[in-house]
Amino acid sequence: MALAQPIPGRSQHERPPLWRDAAVLKWLIQISVMVVVIAVLWFLSRVASTNLAAKGFEVNFDWMSGPANFQLGEGIDTVPNTAGRALWAGMVNTLRMAGAGILLATALGIVVGLARLSSNWLANKIGSVFVETLRNIPVLVQIILWFFIISELGALRNADSPLGESGPIPGWLYISQKGISLPRVFYADGFYQFMALLLILAVPIYFVNRSLHAKRDREGGESIAGRVTLGLLLVAALIAWFANGIMSFLEVPLYAIEDAWRAIPQPLMQTVLMLIALGAAFEFVRRFLNSRRTPAGLAKLTDDDYFRMVFAVVLALAASVIVWIVWPGLSSWIINSGGDFWGWFGDKFGADVNDVTRGSRPIDAMRPTIGTGRFSNFGPTGLTMSVNFAAVFLGLVFYTASFVAEIVRGGILAVAKGQTEAAAALGLSRSQALRKVILPQAFRIVMPPLGNQYLNLTKNTSLAIAVGMTDIVQVGQSVFNKNNQFLAVFIIWGAFYLICSLTISVIVNYINGRLAIVER
Amino acid sequence: MTDLSISHDLTEALAETSLAPKQAAHSPQEWAKQNLFSSVSNTIQTLLFGFILVLILQWILGLIFADERDWHAVTTNMRLLFTNNYPASQYGRIWFTFGALLSTAMLTVAAFRYFPTFTVRKILINITGTGAFIALVGALAPISTTPRLVMLAVGAVIMAAAGMAVNNRPDGDEAAVSLTAVLLVVAAAVLATIWFVPFGNDRLINLEAVLEPGTILLETKLWLSLMVGVTVVAYFAGRALAGVLPESPFKQAMVGWWILGPAFLIFLVIRDPAFDYGYVFTVDIPIALVFGLGGGALLYFLARPGNEALARAVGVGILAVCALTFILGATGSVSMLQKIRLTILALGLVALLAPTFSGEPRVRRNFAYAWIGAIAISHWLITAINTPSTLELRADSFLGGFMISITLGYYVMLASFPMGVLMSLARTSKMPLFRVMSTIYIESVRGIPLIVILFFFDNLLNLFLPNGMSVSKIAGVFIGYTLFSAAYMAENIRGGLQSVRSGQFEASDALGLTTLQRTVFIILPQALRVSIPNLVGQAIATFKETSLVSIIGAFDILYIARNVVPGQTAFIGHSIAPMLFVSLVYWIFAYSMSRASRTLETKLGVGAR
Repeated sequence: MALAQPIPGRSQHERPPLWRDAAVLKWLIQISVMVVVIAVLWFLSRVASTNLAAKGFEVNFDWMSGPANFQLGEGIDTVPNTAGRALWAGMVNTLRMAGAGILLATALGIVVGLARLSSNWLANKIGSVFVETLRNIPVLVQIILWFFIISELGALRNADSPLGESGPIPGWLYISQKGISLPRVFYADGFYQFMALLLILAVPIYFVNRSLHAKRDREGGESIAGRVTLGLLLVAALIAWFANGIMSFLEVPLYAIEDAWRAIPQPLMQTVLMLIALGAAFEFVRRFLNSRRTPAGLAKLTDDDYFRMVFAVVLALAASVIVWIVWPGLSSWIINSGGDFWGWFGDKFGADVNDVTRGSRPIDAMRPTIGTGRFSNFGPTGLTMSVNFAAVFLGLVFYTASFVAEIVRGGILAVAKGQTEAAAALGLSRSQALRKVILPQAFRIVMPPLGNQYLNLTKNTSLAIAVGMTDIVQVGQSVFNKNNQFLAVFIIWGAFYLICSLTISVIVNYINGRLAIVER
Repeated sequence: MTDLSISHDLTEALAETSLAPKQAAHSPQEWAKQNLFSSVSNTIQTLLFGFILVLILQWILGLIFADERDWHAVTTNMRLLFTNNYPASQYGRIWFTFGALLSTAMLTVAAFRYFPTFTVRKILINITGTGAFIALVGALAPISTTPRLVMLAVGAVIMAAAGMAVNNRPDGDEAAVSLTAVLLVVAAAVLATIWFVPFGNDRLINLEAVLEPGTILLETKLWLSLMVGVTVVAYFAGRALAGVLPESPFKQAMVGWWILGPAFLIFLVIRDPAFDYGYVFTVDIPIALVFGLGGGALLYFLARPGNEALARAVGVGILAVCALTFILGATGSVSMLQKIRLTILALGLVALLAPTFSGEPRVRRNFAYAWIGAIAISHWLITAINTPSTLELRADSFLGGFMISITLGYYVMLASFPMGVLMSLARTSKMPLFRVMSTIYIESVRGIPLIVILFFFDNLLNLFLPNGMSVSKIAGVFIGYTLFSAAYMAENIRGGLQSVRSGQFEASDALGLTTLQRTVFIILPQALRVSIPNLVGQAIATFKETSLVSIIGAFDILYIARNVVPGQTAFIGHSIAPMLFVSLVYWIFAYSMSRASRTLETKLGVGAR
């Protein structure tokens, strides 16, 4: 054995001296590097706190409940009472932008990607030019350009104007220098009752669907399960639309849950949270050990394996310490907001609190209306995008769509040609082959990079600050311009975007897992 | 070839379009029939997309040619947009840099033996297409009748002439022209354009727009002509050198130039440092020489087979000395230049690495050369950054306008590369603490938008610095952007690392290589080669995202186009024209970068294993 490096676990009877033992050296290096990193971070934080103390400044979050002293351009609350509420409104704007952008960018990207695959020369070329132009211009430049282009459009005029109402389709669609407005479909008062009733009606339909499937599996032949289920669901929706009033009794149990939730003592909540953390760590260790189990018994664990298990337990213990000692407020916050949630949910069913009319329409729609020279912000109006929102939205959608198009094209081309031929050999028609063979496989290839693009789009919404759309970054900047609490605002920004990114990657990973080829 | 055109269903199209070459059409009519009207669905697509094309083109041309658009806002502000307040008297420096980059680009083309040929047929088809485009623009642009008719006529003539030429070429025509011919024709065309086309001689003097008819400024014309000349000369010189020099060192020299050259151009030529030559010759250069050559010789010696134990001892000894200098420096009993301390630290760490490179003389020599090169660059940068500029500037930075984008993009990529490599190795390593640390870093940085990080470094960097130390805006941006970029770099390289087959690991273990040797000599070279396309993609993205510095108030091209130009009395409120120009500039750079990288990848097989 002339190996330069002893392989762990093979040379136990002749252990090298301590200073040449690979396992010892490995940990020595890691720990010393970590000590250096921690020392640097500690040094930086010491410097920062000294500098802050010299200025007599303290980082805190008390300002969240203080007055905001500024207004927002758009969103759920344009005149927020507190700075915290303002940040919340900014977050909602960011999420709206991200959600709408992802939907439209995907749709546009798929269209362009398919156009690039078309055998038609013109479609192909237009697709290529779209992609090569838009993805090579920085998204920030595009957003600002859209902002100026929209600001240069014609003025918004209502029907009283001597020049006539502005368009392009008066009453339905307005595109002007004040922004873009179109009819809005929204869920109305009866929505929650409607959904509750629909859920209840869906239970028998589910069993019908299952038995139809079982019948098909037994007897073969054409399946009617899909069509029957769809029809039954439509009938159920029709019933629920008119009869949703009967669900308003749910108000009572929901308020009961609210009271019960609020009655939870704080130590109990702390115990539950701790048990969840410890239980998760325990479950992780159990599964980990199971995965290392071979028919011959437990496989030899490396120090890395031990580290993983110890790390999980340490994390759980740290979470427990946080719950009990560092941040007891977390538990009371969960109790309070849980109570708030159930109360809010109950209000959606009750007629007494919120003036909810029983049996009202679950979904409603409105056309845009315009006042004098501007869109009305509140009251019955359409779906209105301010100039700022429209600029960011268009910039993000076109930029991201150019990447999505390339991903879609690449994904479809990556499906092996043999799959098409095999589908043809099985006698599938072309559309069947496309639906059942090519697209499912392409979807699997496309999903991971597509998820990456969604993450990018979500992060790029932060560029809204360049055109003054009130997203979380812009609101945060307004906040720290007033109170200098930059560090606190930065923590909120970071936490918000990390949670967004994490959510998207969890969703994408879940879909990936569902789509992955099951290998034995 | 019937099987290629049976169906235009999507499934068929998928299989055919970009994989198989189309049957070459012989005349425009045939071509149109094949590509636009071959079936009912194809005809419908042609009509639909034709309609969309007309709408979009009309809208874009409307934007460009609108009456209220004042393009003089761009032409008078060229210098501002590209270099902000760089002194006009020193413009030769920028032209010199530009010429150096152009000529070395040509040398690189020659070094990589990239001499493509272009078929006459394809060139003619492209000319036909250009004619059609000119005619289309003439038809759709909102311009007056005379220029419209001129454009239509010119487009039609070009289209007809080139189309007839294509028609008249025999079947299977393979006639081609070389890169040399294309280069000469392009050079001649560029020269003719700058000397004879009346773009107008527009300048901004004391914030007044001076518009004169005629060709562009004589000075600019002369410099541009020189650039064209330098490019052509460098091309022929490169071809001559390629015939004389052996291939591999020539290539390596060019790659080395592209990695390091810009650093010298930026600091030596564009920044024009006011060196105190007495100090430089008596202190800076001797220190660099002692550490570079002495350290190189020491490392060469320590890397000799059999000297492993000595190398470790020497490394630990040097580190101990280094710790001593830091302690004595902190107590104030020994004053020493900070760069000497840091160099000693680096020498100690690298001496510990020496056993990894122990082996045949060639490997040891490269090891010593790498040390010398690193010392040369780092000491150069330390000296250059700490030397004030002689330029008379009206702002704190000699960088401005588009120069910021290029420089920042280049330095961010350069600086984040080592960090990215280290973190990707840490993330894939079997050492759990390293893995956890780098994973936390990478994932949290990747979850946060760049602009938030730039805000942090713009507002808060000085908070984390000891009393009396401060960092300029652009340096703060650079640090933040580098830390951000390193996380993405790490992920790109990790992709490459994961593509290295496990057999490579096993084989290097079987050869008895240490972990470090395996990583440096076996794994990293393969992994980096695979990740080149992704790294080029990241370089383009980095370059594009430098536009974000405008949000925190750095005077880059976007900030100038958006805030400075529309504020000039001559061009109040004219923002769309400068913004369209900025888009064009970014587009030209990003697009040519991506095209060049794609060409390189296919020609050289980079990115494939």
